[in-house]
Amino acid sequence: MSEAVNEAVLKTEKVTKVYTMGKREVRALSDLDLQVNKGEFVAIMGPSGSGKTTLLNVLGCLDKPTTGKVVLDGVDVSKLPERELYKIRRNKIGFIFQTFNLLPYLSACENVELPMETTKRPKNERRQRARELLKLVGLSGREEHRPQKLSAGEQQRVAIARAMANDPAIILADEPTGNLDTENKYEVVRLLANLNINRGTTIVIVSHDSQVASHTERMLLLRDGRIAKEKQGLHLVKKKLMCPYCGSKIQTNDERCPSCRKRL
Amino acid sequence: MFVDVKHLGALTRAVRNISRRKIRALLVIVALSFSLAIMISIPAGVVANQESTQNLAQRLNSTIIETEQQINQSTTLIECSTSSGSMFSGPPSDMSGLPPGMFDRPGSSFTREEFYMNESVVGAIGSIVGVKDVVPFLVKSSSESTQETIATPMGDFTVSRPLYTITGVCLNSSFIDEYYVLPTSITAGRNLREGDSGVLLMSLNLTEYYGVGVGSEVDVNGASFMVVGIYDQAGQNSMETRGVYMNLTDAQTTTDETGNVSRLDVYAENVSVVDTINTQIQTMYSNEINAREITVSTYVDRLANLQSQQTRYTELLNNTESTVAQTQSVATQEIIVALAATSLIVLFVMLYTVRERTKEIGTLKAIGFSSWSVMSQFMLEGVILSLAAGVVGIGIGIVGAPILSGVLLPAVNALGYRGTGFQTGAFGPATSLGSSTASAVVTPSIMLLALGAAVLLGALGSLYPAWRASRTRPAEAMRYE
Repeated sequence: MSEAVNEAVLKTEKVTKVYTMGKREVRALSDLDLQVNKGEFVAIMGPSGSGKTTLLNVLGCLDKPTTGKVVLDGVDVSKLPERELYKIRRNKIGFIFQTFNLLPYLSACENVELPMETTKRPKNERRQRARELLKLVGLSGREEHRPQKLSAGEQQRVAIARAMANDPAIILADEPTGNLDTENKYEVVRLLANLNINRGTTIVIVSHDSQVASHTERMLLLRDGRIAKEKQGLHLVKKKLMCPYCGSKIQTNDERCPSCRKRL
Repeated sequence: MFVDVKHLGALTRAVRNISRRKIRALLVIVALSFSLAIMISIPAGVVANQESTQNLAQRLNSTIIETEQQINQSTTLIECSTSSGSMFSGPPSDMSGLPPGMFDRPGSSFTREEFYMNESVVGAIGSIVGVKDVVPFLVKSSSESTQETIATPMGDFTVSRPLYTITGVCLNSSFIDEYYVLPTSITAGRNLREGDSGVLLMSLNLTEYYGVGVGSEVDVNGASFMVVGIYDQAGQNSMETRGVYMNLTDAQTTTDETGNVSRLDVYAENVSVVDTINTQIQTMYSNEINAREITVSTYVDRLANLQSQQTRYTELLNNTESTVAQTQSVATQEIIVALAATSLIVLFVMLYTVRERTKEIGTLKAIGFSSWSVMSQFMLEGVILSLAAGVVGIGIGIVGAPILSGVLLPAVNALGYRGTGFQTGAFGPATSLGSSTASAVVTPSIMLLALGAAVLLGALGSLYPAWRASRTRPAEAMRYE
């Protein structure tokens, strides 16, 4: 990867979000500045009530900031009306939810096809792409399963495939591992990390799980609606293909370090 | 391709979504289909009612016309008949409250003494100036009789009624062609004609009583006759007299009344001479008249009767028409209620569905569905539900329309007129006005209309819920658990 890395995919300028709860005003975000560059894997962390989910909603065009600017792929989305926003959500953003949010009455394949439905892609092409994406997340042969026939980890992998359907500029994941056991948790994080490394997908995840966050490149700590702290994650080391614990050489899809056996 | 591919996807989702909650869908479809079935049955019933009313009106109209014709024909008729000593005998105006037709002709009523006049009067009356024709009849009851219970407003009582009545008719072809001398309602075989002898015409009820048909040999007072035709006695009078018609000479022979007749229909050449002829007959036979053996009546007496009948039919017609108007206004109200019920059911179910699936709506919007796509998704579900209900409703309607429309609509019959036959004169056209039983039939056009209504109501009912769904802000929807 060249040094065009600093090309911003997502940028916020002095974003403030104020909720009115009865007579009380709650300031969820205040003058928040953030930049996510193309191909980055970023984690947003913070205690509950710090504004994590609000930030993700604002970034994902699910909610509008009270003041400030959100620029996504060169477009200021904070001023766009709803009739334009849905296109941004469809074409530029891929969402991953804590509770997977698959449609229970659709098969895995149909769930992945869903975001492509409102695009001009022909039906057979959509199906083919859905199958490819399911293969990518390791679910070949389970295309026709309904969500209730899949394990929690598998469901989240279907959701990841769905998020990638329209080749979005950025994937936003809200606590993607919150409903998963340890085994599945690492599987999902590894999958996201692989997508980031191998396909260059820009990913922002919100998590309060520091172990999960540590697999990203950059961790942002949110407190009282602002970014309080920023630090590097393991992922950066992984990108350079060396173990963060012993410094020996590793492969991108290694689960553990071949020499020190520590989980990566 | 006319159907956009994305709508096929929405359709699949809508169908899957409905089938996901089978019991609920089933209940909703049942509820909707009943309300749609009601909606179908009402127009079906109204159409049926209109048809039967039209029939009724037609029959009433033709009866009114026939009555008019009779009034015209009878203007030249002077009726001479041997009076009877029956216990109920009296002028027609005293007959109110008794079943009509009880006192119409000698022999058609119950136990009465019968008197006869000599055939020679035919010639005598025929020679009066201005008389065109004298048609003689011999009417005599059979010697056998039956016990029958008759219901009257005064109570039920049992009477002995002759088994049948023998009517001898002078089978002169000019009489047969010009006047009402024979029954007109032949149901089998042929009518009597000039030159017939040894044959008879039998009433339908008597053929049933004996179990005979056309071509059968029957015995009348020891003489053998062949049945050449059968007439329907219905409408001739309410007691449905059983009877046979035969040649006058045959009748006289078999009843031992050779040379006797019991009734003469005297036809004047025109109306102006009727009164003169009437006076002359009365003078000629004053003795007999005083002895109450011969009654002479002219059109004046019958006219009033016929005219009152005509008035009554006209009233019935008006009543029927106003009933139809009333039915239609009831139908309109009921259809409005059914329409409202249908769209309200859809409204509530879809509101519930939207509320229940807030998270799903949020997801759809988050992954790039437009408000319109979300709205059309829910509209489609509402329409599919009510369309399915429409199909079931049509099924219910086809089976249940007669019952449902019977329950929901006031029945059309000419008010209070309960299918009694009425007297239009012994030889008048056999017309019986029954109450019309409306049988509601679901026609293809009503089915099509119902399907259209189902789609429309489904769309109408899900409009607001679908709009609510489409307005859901995704961030709020995601928070909703």
